Amino acid sequence: MAAKKSKKDSVHYNHKKSQEWFKRAVNVIPSGIYGHLGPAEGLWIPPTSWPYFAERAEGSYFWDVDGNKYLDYMCAYGPNVLGYNDPDVNAAAIAQASIANCTTTPSYKMVEFAELMVDTVASADWAFFAKNGNDTTQAAIMCARYHTHKKKIIFVNGFYHGVSMWTQKIDYPGVLPEDVANNLYVDFNDIPALEKLIAENEGEIAAFIATPYMHGNFLDNETPEAGYWQKVRKLCTEKGIVLIVDDVRAGFRLDLAGSDHYYGFEADLICFCKALANGWNVSCLCGKDFLKSAMSGLSYTGSYWMSAIPFAAGIACIEKMKKLNTPALFRDLGTKLTTGLKAAAENNGFDLVVSGEPALFYLRIANDDSLFLHQDWVQEMVSRGIFITSHHNHFINASLTEDDIKYTCEVADEAFKAVRKRHPEAF
Amino acid sequence: MTDAKTLAYINMYAIFGSLENLCALDSDARALLTNKKPISIGIEVKDGPAATLTFKNGRCRMEDGIAPCDIKLPFSSCEKFNGMIDGTVTPIPSKGFTHIGFLLRDFIKLTDLLSRYLRPEPEDLMDERFFNISTSLMFYTISVAIAQIGNNDEIGKFSAHHMVDGDILLSIKNGPKATISVKNHRLLTIKKAPEKPRALMEFSSMKLARDLFDGKVNSVACVGDGSIAMGGMISMVDNMNRILDLVGLYLA
Repeated sequence: MAAKKSKKDSVHYNHKKSQEWFKRAVNVIPSGIYGHLGPAEGLWIPPTSWPYFAERAEGSYFWDVDGNKYLDYMCAYGPNVLGYNDPDVNAAAIAQASIANCTTTPSYKMVEFAELMVDTVASADWAFFAKNGNDTTQAAIMCARYHTHKKKIIFVNGFYHGVSMWTQKIDYPGVLPEDVANNLYVDFNDIPALEKLIAENEGEIAAFIATPYMHGNFLDNETPEAGYWQKVRKLCTEKGIVLIVDDVRAGFRLDLAGSDHYYGFEADLICFCKALANGWNVSCLCGKDFLKSAMSGLSYTGSYWMSAIPFAAGIACIEKMKKLNTPALFRDLGTKLTTGLKAAAENNGFDLVVSGEPALFYLRIANDDSLFLHQDWVQEMVSRGIFITSHHNHFINASLTEDDIKYTCEVADEAFKAVRKRHPEAF
Repeated sequence: MTDAKTLAYINMYAIFGSLENLCALDSDARALLTNKKPISIGIEVKDGPAATLTFKNGRCRMEDGIAPCDIKLPFSSCEKFNGMIDGTVTPIPSKGFTHIGFLLRDFIKLTDLLSRYLRPEPEDLMDERFFNISTSLMFYTISVAIAQIGNNDEIGKFSAHHMVDGDILLSIKNGPKATISVKNHRLLTIKKAPEKPRALMEFSSMKLARDLFDGKVNSVACVGDGSIAMGGMISMVDNMNRILDLVGLYLA
């Protein structure tokens, strides 16, 4: 769906109903909206400029409860990969709903979906389904520990692998030092440090877990240096360390065969979730044959993990992504968008740094070292109906059009002008 | 989950350090020191903090280390020093016996007054002047405690390790302000606003700050409704807030 508004129409929205709903929410829900979709973790600065609750969504857009329309570059933080309410995926889900969903024995759809995953993901010999990304990272760690009978896990600094206690940090609320006692940390792209860490913990390391590139928050995103992953792969193989790729965020946006395939190596275990079924709730851990027995031995399941609707949606989603060759489309659209945004910034005297992969671009205004200017610009964008964030990578979806990109760049120009006017001291 | 050394640093710089602000904010405290000879108390804790409090012309100033002082209070351990704050250990000066009167009368009156503000009775908080002084003193105490925990507590040091260099503005709108200055993962609290903050966290009113200090409202919900404003390098604020979570444990 192309943008319909002209520049003239891009005005500051009001969020009266959103705020009324939020007042009701805080009475009955801890912090009103918890987690990454809420104002605190979502860094709505200031919160009055942001929509708290959505009413409906279509393609690249959502409408909030006040009727404000947003061109959405967060894509529900990833799940919207084909466009909200994609007709093909929804039709498959609805058709499955009329047959069976949550049943005492699983639907054969699970087998079909597993076969499709194994055929699609280059490193996969098997597929294990759950609901959220965290379910798969947790499964991967348990599988690696069970297979190796070792305790320690290597993480890359700036990581995010979910919400289980082992994925959190010692200073997080509710986490004990014992929960993270076996966590080791190394910087991304730092092979000498990784070699040293492995040598210092020889024979104790179960797994190395990392995202395919460093797409952590608050920082310019960092892609792997030439040969990085191949050296990691070699080290892990030599030392009997299970190599886990957390592809929950980037999975299927870089390469339908997996982001490990994109960067030219093979993971032992690879975790998928966000782009798997266009918003229908399913996640998947894929693995190598030598880990299949360990995975079979885990006591690990969930009430809704074998529901058939998301399997049907996932099959339809993957087939459509293949048909559209979405990774190439995302790279093209992401490159056009970020090139346009950089130009709009430059025209107004801003240094907009774009990092990461174009399909999941990360933005930062570098005129100051504090992000105040950047947060002001993000607020101006959101106030004009372009939903972006100041701390997190963004997402391209397949329904985004070149008109949408053109419109985004026009609004960005307006937003840069507004920030420049408000901060003459910075120029 | 707390350790004696960190608590000793908090007791020295955040609690005793608040005497500076008490004397600036409260006329009764100032009156205790007016028209009296300047006097200084050096407090030295083995394997812990050392600082000197100087009382002069109705003001109090704390400086790091044991400067030449009139009264010297040595403590053989952090636990002993913390015991003095709890009232379970009686300090014995190693120097300044001729000034013992100040220690036993005026200094005790000052610390009692400080305790009244830092651990207020609900009815005292009904008085607006008392409420404002008490909340301001709590703010300064907490601000200084953040730096002590970030520099000494093992979990606090982990949070500080994830903070980049720069100044955080911590403030109450139309109220007190402080700088949490970060350099090489060491924290320093300065009891005034920074010239150029790299990040900020501001409470919208003295009442909101009080409710937060008393645990009556949730800080995440306050960010949501805008009554706590944040900006700049949020990773600095995020890690500072993790330290702030520990402040309650130490000051309980």
